Amino acid sequence: MVMIDMSMDLWSLLLSARLWFFILMFAVSGVVLLTVVWFERKAAARVQMRVGPYHVSPQLGGYLQLLADAFKFIISEPIVPRGAHKILFVWGPAIFVTLAFGASLLLPLTPELRLIKDPSLLPYGLVFSLVILLLVSILIVIIGWSVNNKFAYIGAAREALLVAAYELPLILSFLAMVILYGTLNPIEIAQKQTFLVGAILNPLAFLVFIITTAMATARFPFEIADYEGDVATGPYSDYGGIFLVLSFAGGTYYATFSYSFLATLLFLGGWALPGYAPGPWPQDITGHLTLAIWVFLKTTALMFFFAFLRAAMPVLRLDHTLVLGWRGLLTLGFLAVVWSAALRFVGLAP
Amino acid sequence: MSAEKTTLGAAVKATIDALAVAARNFVKPERITIYYPYEKLEYGRMRGWIGLWTEKCTSCMLCARICPTNAIKMYPAPNGKRYPGIDYGRCIMCHFCIDVCPTDALYGTGIKELAWYDYKEMIYTPDMEREPPKIQEPYKSVKVAIKYVGGVPKKVRLQE
Amino acid sequence: MIRTEEYGLVLKEEKLEGGRRVLDLFWGPQHPTSGHTRFIVELDGDVVINVTPDPGYVHRTMEKLGETRHWIQNIPLFERLSLPDAINVTWAYAMAIERLAKIDVSPRAQYLRVIMAELSRISTHLYDLGLHAIMIGSSTGFMWGFGLRELVVQLWAMVSGSRTTPSWVLPGGVRTAPPDAFYEQTKGFLDYLEKKIDEFVRLVIKNPVGYYRLKDVGYLSKEDAARLMATGPAARGSGIDWDARRVYKYGVYDELEWGVCVEDGGDSLARTMVRICEIRQSAKIIRQALDRVPRDGPLVGEAVLHRMPPKQKETANQIIRLGSLFTTRLPEGEGLGITEGGRGRYFFHVYGDGTERPYRVRISTPSWQNLRAMIKTFIGARLMDLPAIYGSFGYFPPEQDR
Repeated sequence: MVMIDMSMDLWSLLLSARLWFFILMFAVSGVVLLTVVWFERKAAARVQMRVGPYHVSPQLGGYLQLLADAFKFIISEPIVPRGAHKILFVWGPAIFVTLAFGASLLLPLTPELRLIKDPSLLPYGLVFSLVILLLVSILIVIIGWSVNNKFAYIGAAREALLVAAYELPLILSFLAMVILYGTLNPIEIAQKQTFLVGAILNPLAFLVFIITTAMATARFPFEIADYEGDVATGPYSDYGGIFLVLSFAGGTYYATFSYSFLATLLFLGGWALPGYAPGPWPQDITGHLTLAIWVFLKTTALMFFFAFLRAAMPVLRLDHTLVLGWRGLLTLGFLAVVWSAALRFVGLAP
Repeated sequence: MSAEKTTLGAAVKATIDALAVAARNFVKPERITIYYPYEKLEYGRMRGWIGLWTEKCTSCMLCARICPTNAIKMYPAPNGKRYPGIDYGRCIMCHFCIDVCPTDALYGTGIKELAWYDYKEMIYTPDMEREPPKIQEPYKSVKVAIKYVGGVPKKVRLQE
Repeated sequence: MIRTEEYGLVLKEEKLEGGRRVLDLFWGPQHPTSGHTRFIVELDGDVVINVTPDPGYVHRTMEKLGETRHWIQNIPLFERLSLPDAINVTWAYAMAIERLAKIDVSPRAQYLRVIMAELSRISTHLYDLGLHAIMIGSSTGFMWGFGLRELVVQLWAMVSGSRTTPSWVLPGGVRTAPPDAFYEQTKGFLDYLEKKIDEFVRLVIKNPVGYYRLKDVGYLSKEDAARLMATGPAARGSGIDWDARRVYKYGVYDELEWGVCVEDGGDSLARTMVRICEIRQSAKIIRQALDRVPRDGPLVGEAVLHRMPPKQKETANQIIRLGSLFTTRLPEGEGLGITEGGRGRYFFHVYGDGTERPYRVRISTPSWQNLRAMIKTFIGARLMDLPAIYGSFGYFPPEQDR
């Protein structure tokens, strides 16, 4: 008979790095999302000669309006159209937001706070998160098909064309950074960036990554698949209530969050704080938490940039976007790879 | 797609210019939003609720005849004359009736904040037309106006 | 196996080359960008093959209503043809009545009408540019257009007493005189407007994203524009140099110095630049008129003033009482009123038959006239171009359906 020492296991369970990572990602990503949506509304309002959310919590600048809106969406009656494919219509948004968020769970937050325990499996985590992010867009096509509506059908076709256009440049920019660092291990990638972050070492790859992320997550100027002017928000045209907040408001923003998280790791230095190295995990909780907050701040700053684009840019036409993807971004992607290879050849790569 | 003047450099410069315009407006917003009902805009003349002094009315019925929406009906009074009553569901507040009245019996106010619970309450008879309706003011409102200061409109509070 | 025909996705097979099939899209009245009118769009992939308009959703029988009421009761009615452009519409009607009943207009009223009509033109252009911007996707352009319009609407409230429905133009003159604060406030507004229009152009039109949405989109050649009788910025964007203000010389337009904006491009970009240029020209006209407008004087011409009782004549410099107009009957005959509104030219033809009710009022609005030209430009464009072309024509269904 084996006696299990329950008290020791409970304490080590509570201090487990994976649990802390999980809770931090869920809680803080929700807060980050609300803050980014709040910033988007407020920044757009400031540019547009008006005041954004204000009356619900005037001292906080209307921040709690977001909670009120989310609450309204959640308690709203979910309506499933008669001709829609019922299973995919109902499950589509849930799978969408799970995949969009799940991609960021495969990346490490700090050297110790990560979900993948075995350090030799971390390179696979990096590649898999990129793969899952590319799968998210295919889900949009599935959602558009399940709605059974001509406008959604056109939106889904547009999304399929866009995926073909931005996928290669995204992979090329990823490849360029991997060539630059010479390793796929995210911990080593973050360690190699000091003041010269990835964006400065290879600005072409950063530019390509930014533009393809905007294409992938329907940020202006590429809100083409769910364009309100033409296809009446395309695949999401028959969604309302909880479905809408999971897919249109939640899923696309969670996808932006995951892309920004990946970009923070590759281009903005990850958790690297020059001159600061935390101790091992259970002893130095505050050090790791500081680094985690630093990563979240960088991610939020990048998401703020994407949110600000709504106020500044109109929407580009579909065939111009495809030309931009296949000609402009593909060339830039190849140039980024060549640049990284040249840096590595010369010996300036970290 | 590339025409005479649209080179890559020009396109990049125009994009950065557009982002700069948006950023400048973000940093210095030019808002003219009025936080109604805490603030109310001061209008000099506003065509609002129409009232009646029955002692001046001669029952010529010109107001009922000129009303573009047939909102005015004449109600017989005990002294044999007829006095106008206005149906505010139909009234568009063009003040044609005030402008045509030969004895200045109808007068105009600036009250536009009118709301009723029932259609039947909107039909005003001549005795209801004597005094303007009491408007509820749940908040103490401040009068504001938009003035141009330094080429930019600003909302200023008018001191009473 | 799911067949797409079951879901009703593809409705017909046309004999296109290669046996391709066509998708019918009902770009209908309940849609974010179609206004209140329906277009039945037939698509082959992303390219539009044919468009059938289905107007009449907001038909309000204004021409028939005009026959059943006193001619002065028609002024608030016809104003609601196109509320952003209220002054130009009612000016055309007033001009028709003036020509029919031989009523003259006082000089002060001419200047005041010009000032308010140019403000009305600016208001229409801001409205159209705002809607065009949101149809392209730029919500900032939308808010700026309507934010600037808020300032115009407050100016209208200062003059006439109502923000959006002035009911201010009478045959013979105008109804009320502007207060003294109006002149300074308008000058301040014009300074701000010119600054903001520059920013609008930089943000929406010169921005490569917006520029490529508009360039070479919806090309209307000069011959087609003349043959299909396009009017307003749609015609002037294709090189036709015609403006009713210059040709018919109404108001005091021939005494002021201004230019007609013409562009040669023929595409949506040219039409939008015509609008921007017209806003600047309107600001120039208003500035000149504000300097020259007589601050005192009767608001109506002699024909109406002569019939007013002395007690009402005393206040004829501030407000016009309507008794003398109400008792005027329309002689037998016809009168024509043509003005240049923001979207094109308004045409009113009034037949009188001796009573106070018009026998017939025929209205021709610019949106109805531009419909054919717009359909011609839709064909061959891509699906995402439809909102851009629609906005560049300044299409307004309530005006089209009357």
